[in-house]
Amino acid sequence: MKILIADDDALSRRLLEKTLTRAGYEVCAVCNGRQAIEALSGPDAPRLALLDWMMPELPGPAVCTEIRKRRDQSYVYMILLTSRESKEDIVAGLESGADDYLVKPFNADELKARLRTGQRILHLEDRLVEAREQMRFKATHDHLTSLWNRGVIMDLLGRELTRSQRENVCTAIVLGDLDHFKKINDTHGHQVGDQVLREVARRLLLSVRSYDFVGRYGGEEFLIVLNNCRPDSALGRAEQIRKSICTRPIQTDAGALEVTMSSGLLLSTDWGHRPADDLISEVDSALYAAKTDGRNRVQVAKPVPTPETLVGIPIGSERLR
Amino acid sequence: MNPASTANINLAELLVRVDNDRDLLRDLLSIFKEEFPSYLRSLQQAVARTDAAEIARVSHALKGMFANLAASKAAASASSLEQLARSGETPSLKRAFAEFERDLHGLLPEIDAYLAEVHL
Repeated sequence: MKILIADDDALSRRLLEKTLTRAGYEVCAVCNGRQAIEALSGPDAPRLALLDWMMPELPGPAVCTEIRKRRDQSYVYMILLTSRESKEDIVAGLESGADDYLVKPFNADELKARLRTGQRILHLEDRLVEAREQMRFKATHDHLTSLWNRGVIMDLLGRELTRSQRENVCTAIVLGDLDHFKKINDTHGHQVGDQVLREVARRLLLSVRSYDFVGRYGGEEFLIVLNNCRPDSALGRAEQIRKSICTRPIQTDAGALEVTMSSGLLLSTDWGHRPADDLISEVDSALYAAKTDGRNRVQVAKPVPTPETLVGIPIGSERLR
Repeated sequence: MNPASTANINLAELLVRVDNDRDLLRDLLSIFKEEFPSYLRSLQQAVARTDAAEIARVSHALKGMFANLAASKAAASASSLEQLARSGETPSLKRAFAEFERDLHGLLPEIDAYLAEVHL
């Protein structure tokens, strides 16, 4: 475990360094408060620190105060080293944000025991952070496929639509639904159905760019948000996604299964400023059309022309077909 | 020369502190020997111009070094000099510094003797 020693006294630094190295710590030693703050910053910084009370540049308690102001980094367990014994000092030191203090010259066994206390606290923090990350993952991801869950993918879509309007670019929405999925479940059981869903999720993720979003919208429905998508390439990309499902059968416990997906495709630039829910209902209609049109295909959602949108468009143009 | 007879340094305590590591003991004594003269010079100059803040700072640093070397008499002497400087009793600083220098008498030869011993 890494540990920082900040002490302007070379003798004390050497003694601490050797004692702690021998105890198995990876020691980083600096000689003033500014250097201590620098050494405690960054992603790989030590999380244990022994800070001398009186140091040039910045005394130990000021270093503690400075470090405690940070919110975005992991906890640093800080022990102040003091050679004074007055009560006020200790109270002020602990109130500056130090976790503990040690009177110099220290006893090596006591020092090591107090550092173990620090390690216990840091270990506790690690476990809490890990649990929080797990909870966060569970709260935002679909547990079967690990794709974004419905709530999150809708939030992401809303955000992307706002951004694409602001930046005047196109967001493409693909709503895909596996064809005859109920039959897979009914014939081979839900476990096989789950295997299919997991493999479909994997293929969808592989068929989009790292900054696109893929979510599980419902049972066998997937919502894919293609960010900053060129309108003329949207259909090609939706076709690629469709093909990623149907070109190879999916291996399951019940053998290789042929699976296809029907999709609705919608380009935000075709629809002006409309809320995400509206667009979802439009792309859902296109998906329905793809189903009735024979499945395993992509149907583009186009707005029905209103009298205003017809102005200037000659009769018989692309829009009216 | 038998260093124990002068007993400025509590060798037993110092050996526990370095965990019987002779290399570390030699390092500590060398660091002290190297750094002490400039500390003492700063202190002498600060006393000459009655700079209480500087006297407090330097004697505090020396107190820490002496304490680490288990030189308790010297540490106590540096500590009282520090306290005096902090309390602002400037008139007695010169006398206290003289006492401090007297208390240090014998410490340096003792450190040299130990250094010679650990170098063997």
